[in-house]
Amino acid sequence: MRTALVLLGLLALASAVGSLLPQIPNSPERVGAYLVDHPFWGQLFLRGGFFDVFGSWWFSLVTALLFVSLVACLIPRSRAMLRAIRQRPVQAKELEALPHHVAFEVAVPPEVAVERAQRVLRRRMYRVAAAPDGRGVAAEKGVLRETGSLTFHWAFLLLLIAVVIGKGTGYTGHATIVEGQTWTDAAFNYDGDLRTGRFSSGQHTGAGIHLIDFEDRFRTSGIPMDFASEVELLDANGNPVRRDEVRINHPVGFDGLRIFQYGFGWAPIVVVRGGGATLSDGPVVMVQDAGADGNQLAAPGEGFVKLPTLRPQYAISLELIPDSTAFIQSLISGVPQPMTQVRAPFMRYTLWQGRILDPSLNGLDTRLMHKVSTGIVGRGWTVDVEHGCVVSGTSGALPKGLARTVCPAGAPAPALTLSFPELRQYTRLQVSKDPTVPFVLGAAILILLGLVAAMYSSRRKVWVRAEAREEGTVLQVGGYALQRKDRFEEEFPKLVADLRAATGGGRREREREGAAAR
Amino acid sequence: MTAARLSSDLFNAALFAYIAAMVLSFAYLAFRKRPFHVAALTVGWIGVSANIGSIVARGVAAHRTPWGNMYEFSSLLACLVVLAYLVLVEGRYKVQTVGGFVFAFAIFTMALATSFFYVGPTDLLPALNSYWRQIHVTSMIVATSLLATGCVFTILYLVKVRSERREVSVLRSQDPPPILGGSVDADAPPDYVPGADEPVGAATSPAPRRGLPPSATLDRLAYRFIQFGFPIWTFGVMCGAIWAQQTWGRYWGWDPKETWSFITWVIFACYLHARATAGWRGTKAAGIALVGFVSLFVTYYAVNLWIAGLHTYAK
Repeated sequence: MRTALVLLGLLALASAVGSLLPQIPNSPERVGAYLVDHPFWGQLFLRGGFFDVFGSWWFSLVTALLFVSLVACLIPRSRAMLRAIRQRPVQAKELEALPHHVAFEVAVPPEVAVERAQRVLRRRMYRVAAAPDGRGVAAEKGVLRETGSLTFHWAFLLLLIAVVIGKGTGYTGHATIVEGQTWTDAAFNYDGDLRTGRFSSGQHTGAGIHLIDFEDRFRTSGIPMDFASEVELLDANGNPVRRDEVRINHPVGFDGLRIFQYGFGWAPIVVVRGGGATLSDGPVVMVQDAGADGNQLAAPGEGFVKLPTLRPQYAISLELIPDSTAFIQSLISGVPQPMTQVRAPFMRYTLWQGRILDPSLNGLDTRLMHKVSTGIVGRGWTVDVEHGCVVSGTSGALPKGLARTVCPAGAPAPALTLSFPELRQYTRLQVSKDPTVPFVLGAAILILLGLVAAMYSSRRKVWVRAEAREEGTVLQVGGYALQRKDRFEEEFPKLVADLRAATGGGRREREREGAAAR
Repeated sequence: MTAARLSSDLFNAALFAYIAAMVLSFAYLAFRKRPFHVAALTVGWIGVSANIGSIVARGVAAHRTPWGNMYEFSSLLACLVVLAYLVLVEGRYKVQTVGGFVFAFAIFTMALATSFFYVGPTDLLPALNSYWRQIHVTSMIVATSLLATGCVFTILYLVKVRSERREVSVLRSQDPPPILGGSVDADAPPDYVPGADEPVGAATSPAPRRGLPPSATLDRLAYRFIQFGFPIWTFGVMCGAIWAQQTWGRYWGWDPKETWSFITWVIFACYLHARATAGWRGTKAAGIALVGFVSLFVTYYAVNLWIAGLHTYAK
């Protein structure tokens, strides 16, 4: 037991270190900053696995040792307990010497008194054994204490195993799905942060999630109320199985996966045409960066369209304002207003020409590019990107003061056009597979039950002896409790009263209450 | 008067009542005059009523159960600690001299709440909108209040053990009284408690002396509170894990708050084991409980103030 406690203490110590130092799985950027600021300690910590405490070999080692120590401790204890359960209570002789002792006369012969005493004790859930001479009863209660303690410890072990298997064979990652699109569970479809367990087979289910609609609701104060993704779930062959709604605090289970609402954002449909061909057509996932004030909803969405096939290469960076009314209010008041509705959305675009260094759509490296033009494009417009003027589309409800330069009549056909036909939303779902969650829950429930049983039950022993005297039968009752002695002090007189009532005792009492427990 | 205003007025009233009750309790501890004790209890109950009133008014003002941020947790924690003291220690165990320390703890908690954590009654983020929040937070605060009360008694126990040891060593240095014909049995250390489960009241029966109750009584009180609080803490952590599974998609992610609640759990588990192990009872076990106390406070305050994590919304 002491070894297990020391190991548990080591786990606690390691966890404390893990909570104080930045951890690679949670905040890799802070680990990087630490390495730059404290090169010596940083390197030392990195080598020792202190930046990934919970995934380090020594954390696993301590867990494994704890496991071994628990098993080594629990097997003999469980055997002893099984033996103790099968064993019959042992008879006692000197009942007067027990902490609680009472003797009184009863109206019935000794055999009958013993018989009735057994019945009383059984009714009180005692395990009962009659003495070989038929004149005494030994009774015990409180197996629950050791049973509960063992349940607790075995369940703790089960929890440990279930957690290791679940985290080891499962995976978790994030999926970005634009309204109307379908996402399939495969390693390369995750957002680049897929975390797989150590013993994972690398197999994914191939199940599909089709986003029908995303809905966000806000209070007037801009505090979010609810986010919900209405999805259609597809099996591995692409056949629709059922429709469901993924909401905050309401995950959806499907095909061994758990799907959680994680984030959301804007995804305008952007069409780029040039030289009579469509160069790019589809939703652009916009990222809103929370500024210094942390108000993410007030920030414009940022996204990119890259055209690497053109010579020279082109890229368009886009800045989306979904709610121009709130945007204008922000400009006037100087206080960023959250943009939670779609009101005359528009985008500011910048056309870049040069060499694209990074093909990913998360950012744009403009070191080898130069700015060609900038302008705005409202929903439903088509613009000449190179000249920054509007080819078609009405100003609609766009606020006054936003420059809208119409291309001059009779100008040559634009080489590159950009259209913004539609504004959609995307949802970010967390997709996790953890096959042992039910076992973890079951083990947790057993831990709790075992704990309460072990703490709030107590072992009690009671003996009854009936002796024939010249004037009748004298019944002696003695007992003691190994734990919770104050409770037994209250219980014992009630037990005696029951025995007395059952045996017709009480006449000419000779009661000598034993000294209370020290 | 709005409910929000009423809530903060009652909060202040409770805080002042606790301060008065603390002073009166310490006066009783020092002078052993009955009226001090009666007055302390009366003012203590007034404080608890005001505290409960403040919490209810806060709930009315915010249209939700009023335990959603650190200010609200702290108010509830102070209320439960004082309530546990008044009902269990005074009512059930009939120990009357330790109230001042419990009130001091409640004052400390509430003062921190008003000076560092105050926020107006506002709506919660949707992630907090779950009935698991109610169960998780309620049981965590109840457990925190019980464990913290147990730890207050542990500190008092250690203080008392020191003074008892000093008495023993004074007796030992004197010549043995001739009538006893031998030395005072100074080899049985006063921290040796043969039966941890014996009734708390049993040790209080010796003639009342000035100062704290005997160390054995304080030790048992500490044990009772920690034993009561530990399963509730376990339950609260488990509910938190269930809620985390629903909201964040994992039941355990080594978030600082999770990590520290686990550390606290381990330390108090060690305390309970130490209590059941010969040679570790008494001051050694009390030492473990003190470490648990520190860990409890790291879990409760430090994680929110200094360590970034998912529980930062509870600021």
